[in-house]
Amino acid sequence: MPAAASPSVLESLSNDLTGAVERVGACVVAIHARRRIPSSGVVWKDGIIVTASHTLQRDDDISLTLPNGDKVDASIRGRDPSTDLAILEVDAKVTPANVDTGDSLRVGQLVLALGRPGASVTAALGIVSALGGEWRTWHGGRIDRFVRLDLAIYDGFSGGPLVDGSGRVLGINTSGLSRSAALTIPASTVSRVADQLIATGHVRRGYIGIAAQPVQLPEDLVRSLSLSQELGLLVIGVDTGGPAQNAGLLLGDVLITFDGQPVADPAELLAAMSSDRVGAEVDVGVIRAGRREKVRVTVGERPTERRETRRGRR
Amino acid sequence: MGARSRFGAAGDALAVEMSSLAQFVRSFTVAITAASRRGSQAGTGVVWHPDGLIVTNAHVATRDNYTVTLATGDKVDAEVIARDKDADLAALSIPVRALRPAPPGDANTLRPGSLVLALGHPFGVANALALGVVHHVVRDGAGDPRWIAADIQLAPGNSGGPLVDATGRLVGVNAMIVSGLGAAIPVEVVTKFLRSTVGRSAWSPEVWAA
Repeated sequence: MPAAASPSVLESLSNDLTGAVERVGACVVAIHARRRIPSSGVVWKDGIIVTASHTLQRDDDISLTLPNGDKVDASIRGRDPSTDLAILEVDAKVTPANVDTGDSLRVGQLVLALGRPGASVTAALGIVSALGGEWRTWHGGRIDRFVRLDLAIYDGFSGGPLVDGSGRVLGINTSGLSRSAALTIPASTVSRVADQLIATGHVRRGYIGIAAQPVQLPEDLVRSLSLSQELGLLVIGVDTGGPAQNAGLLLGDVLITFDGQPVADPAELLAAMSSDRVGAEVDVGVIRAGRREKVRVTVGERPTERRETRRGRR
Repeated sequence: MGARSRFGAAGDALAVEMSSLAQFVRSFTVAITAASRRGSQAGTGVVWHPDGLIVTNAHVATRDNYTVTLATGDKVDAEVIARDKDADLAALSIPVRALRPAPPGDANTLRPGSLVLALGHPFGVANALALGVVHHVVRDGAGDPRWIAADIQLAPGNSGGPLVDATGRLVGVNAMIVSGLGAAIPVEVVTKFLRSTVGRSAWSPEVWAA
């Protein structure tokens, strides 16, 4: 086989891939907001940069390295740990990425994960390995589609774009929403959360003001109250002046239903309190002193999240 | 639209090309084993010149004598004629002529996303092929390639083996795995090493013109 044959399939594929990296790489910045290695971000709109919230380990003193090598200051416009997205503002002209918020993802599709954990852009090749419908993250954030990748995760993966062979941005990659796999937050979710963060600085989340932990319900109690579940949520903290306290929920109550739906896990309770529930009156079923009780709670809005300082993720 | 349909329509051609490329790379890849430890694989090497010049890593060729297994299956004695631990490169000489050397590539043409293939003998598996892309290229102060970092699945036995581009040209010698990334020494660095040690860079373009 001659080495210098006419352009082969492999060669033109390679050229397509490097072309896609070059085009999108011009919209990928390095974000200096943690120790050691910088994370990546994507210029989503003029002056607006999207990244993975968990990679921002400080709120101030954040700088960016732009594709042209310039270093500029940036500030956090808003962050939503529930979807692991954050928005940065920057006063610099960088061309926004060609974002595809449509439904063009396919299982088996060749994709690139780009990053900029420093001065130069990096690329990893893989395929979309699984797609699913809407899902909730472990913090209760709503993600439009489940997108799992067969792709190696290196430094700079989180906050970087998922790119197709023609240089369109399909989403933002993060290792902060799963312990085991590379996941992508689809572009439609990124745009929705970004719009909310730009408008208000945070994403509205329902809040009733309790701390709870799952507990096993005694068998005889399950039988005598004819419950459909074996687990409940023991209330171990009630915020002063919060919706739960105002409604009369007490320390030691065991929460078993929320708006008619059984809840046995704190994540289920979080998932039930999406932004559209803010202001709604909801019946909360509890076990108190061995008897079933119903408490009517007006769902409030969650105060702004504390910043996350999870470490050891890329 | 374009990219996705192209991947689909080109599937067969891609598969045929990959296997012929693998066969081609195999023709200039050798196994390097320690003469005394029978059967235990030490690493992989690249045929650099038809007159019997083989290149591998210094950490593969720590002794003076080895057995080299050619693509034909022939086993020959090899003598280490140069070694540079800092560059992690070594040159071996074998008493065989008219070998088919690796075609010279250019690491400067590599960009993040460039397709690359590696061939080697990881864990004693002969001629294992790996496909990946360039993750980034580390450059020295003068802007010349110093390391090729690739998103590719390598194992220890890949050390000293070839990293080739989509056309089958040699762009690097696989040397180590760093944070999961394959790290290869660019051909330009290898050329410099050979010129300063064995006294010739020894690319042989005439062989490829023939």
